[in-house]
This record gives sequence, structure tokens and C-alpha cells, in this order.
Amino acid sequence: MKKFDLELAVGVFMIIGIICLGYLSIKLGKMEVFGDKGYEIQAIFSNSGGLKSGSSVVIAGVEVGRVKRVALDDYQAKVVLNLPLNVKIQEDAIASIKTKGLIGEKYVEITPGGADELIEPGGRIRDTQSAIDFEEIISNYVFGKI
Amino acid sequence: MICKRLIMVPLLFFMTLVISGSSIAGGPTEDVRKTTDRLLAVVSDPAMKSADMAAERARRIRKAVDERFDWKEMSKRTLARHWKKRTEREKEEFIDLFGKLLERTYLDKVESYSGEKVLYVGEKVDGKYGIVVVKIVTKKDTEILVKYKLKNKGGEWLVYDISIEGVSLVNNYRKQFNSIMTRSSYEDLIKKLRKKVEGKD
Repeated sequence: MKKFDLELAVGVFMIIGIICLGYLSIKLGKMEVFGDKGYEIQAIFSNSGGLKSGSSVVIAGVEVGRVKRVALDDYQAKVVLNLPLNVKIQEDAIASIKTKGLIGEKYVEITPGGADELIEPGGRIRDTQSAIDFEEIISNYVFGKI
Repeated sequence: MICKRLIMVPLLFFMTLVISGSSIAGGPTEDVRKTTDRLLAVVSDPAMKSADMAAERARRIRKAVDERFDWKEMSKRTLARHWKKRTEREKEEFIDLFGKLLERTYLDKVESYSGEKVLYVGEKVDGKYGIVVVKIVTKKDTEILVKYKLKNKGGEWLVYDISIEGVSLVNNYRKQFNSIMTRSSYEDLIKKLRKKVEGKD
């Protein structure tokens, strides 16, 4: 009887441990288990600057969504953003790829517009600003001086 | 570094030199080309170079730009969500001030044109929106990429944003204006704009 109790306790403990592990890996991996809430919109950039899926999407510095997918489309970067349903994006909003600090990770910033029309789920942000390539700017500047 | 480029680059802003073979016919490119050619004619006209012709030259440049730029759309996009809160009178006042601000900022640069080449390298039309990609080659052989974003209004392509080396003019002002308006008020923004437009700095 006593032996059975011990085994039961170990078993329960193990199961709790596994559940915790699963929870942690889902949280840390930023995976969505129960399907995505919210909606998707696209933006085409000429240079994504190494943006990855899972990068944050911010408005006024507040993280509102995540990059769902980055793919090549006609030699341009097609970025799919996942946004919560309560965040509406106007038709004339501008999406730009920014860097945290000078060499930090990339994220997408949306500056909201003033148009009455909103971007429908599956729609596209027309105005985009690609990642700024510091190296290119410096080299242009340097060679421009000669 | 970016700042320096941003100051230097608008210089070339509207300027064009048509190079045969690199042209793309029709549509938004044609409209942008028409305007740039007119501007070029004004700035490279020797008769317009003298000091007493300065006002006339500025007037002609403004006229040519006015025909291609949709100031209302541009103002609306820069004020963004603050646009709807404005009355009709305020909107008109803002359009006027914003136009003058850009004129003040860029007129000198346009006037200092000295034979930079402008190549039309691409065009993309998507419904009533279009993008014209222009490459400006300075005499030092530096290439500057300028994208005109246009919207078709009644058969005519009008510019609503310009991005120079990937930096959008509307986005730049939108952020600045938004930050001023969030910190203080719309009235304060107008006061600042007016000071800038009237001031000599």
C-alpha cells in the first residue's frame, strides 16, 4: 500500500513536470496552440533587413502584434503581420522596418494614418519603408565625398 | 549621416534630365517627367538666373510643383488621425502652411540645380496607385534613389508622398507632427509651422 502511494506521487509529479515543460516551450517559442486570434495583413518591402517571423509589430512603441511570415515575392520581401482584431489599421498607414538600437533586432513599426477606409483582413499596407542599410548609407557618403 | 543625406538629397528632388533609352512611356512616369522637365526649364533658364528674377522663378517653380503635387492628400496623410478632428478652415490653413514649409525647405535645393542627371528606372501601377522610381546621378557619380508615390485622380497622376533613399517624407512629418500634437496641441503645431515658414532660419 505504502509503495503504491509513492509510485502514484512520482507519477503525478512527472506529469506536472511534463505539462510545465510543454507550457514553457510554447511560451518561450511564442507558438500559438489554439489557432491565431486576430487577423493578418501584408506589407511588401524592398529590403526586410533580416526581419524574422516572431518579430514584434509596434504602434507608438507598444507591441500590438507579431510578424507571422517573411517570404520572397517577386524579389521583394512579403511580410505577413498578425494583429489583434481590436487594432484597426487605416488604408494610409505606413509600415517601416526599424532596428532596436544601432545593431539590435528588427521590428515593424506602423504609423497610423487618417483615412476612413480600414485595411481588411488579408489586405495590404501600401506604404512601406524598408530597413535602412547603414552600411550602404555610409558607403554612399564615403564614396560621394571623393 | 542620414541627416546630411536628407539635406543634400532633396536638392535633386524634382530634377530631371531626360536620358534617351532609359525612359518608360505613359502613365505616372510620363506625368512626373512632364513636371520635372518644366522645372528644369525654369531652373536652367539663364534669363531666370538674375537676382531680380528670383521671385518670378520661385513662383514658376511653385506653379509647376503645384500641378503635380496633391497638397491636400499630403497634408491629410501627414496629419493622419488628427486630420479628422480639424475644421474645414483649419484644414485649409494647414494645407497652405504645409505647402509653404516644403517650399521653404526645398526651394533653395531646387534652385541650386547644376546638371544632375535623372533616370527613370521603374514604374509600378496598382489600380489607382502608382510608384515612379527615379535615380538621380550627381556629378560626383553618387546615385540617389527617389520614389514618387502617386494616386490617380480624374485621369491625372498626383504625388502624395516621396521617399528618398527609402525615407518617406510623409512618414517623417507624420511622426514629428504627431509628437508635437501629443505633447502640446494642434495650435502649438500651427504656431511652430508659421514661425518656421515666416522665419529666416
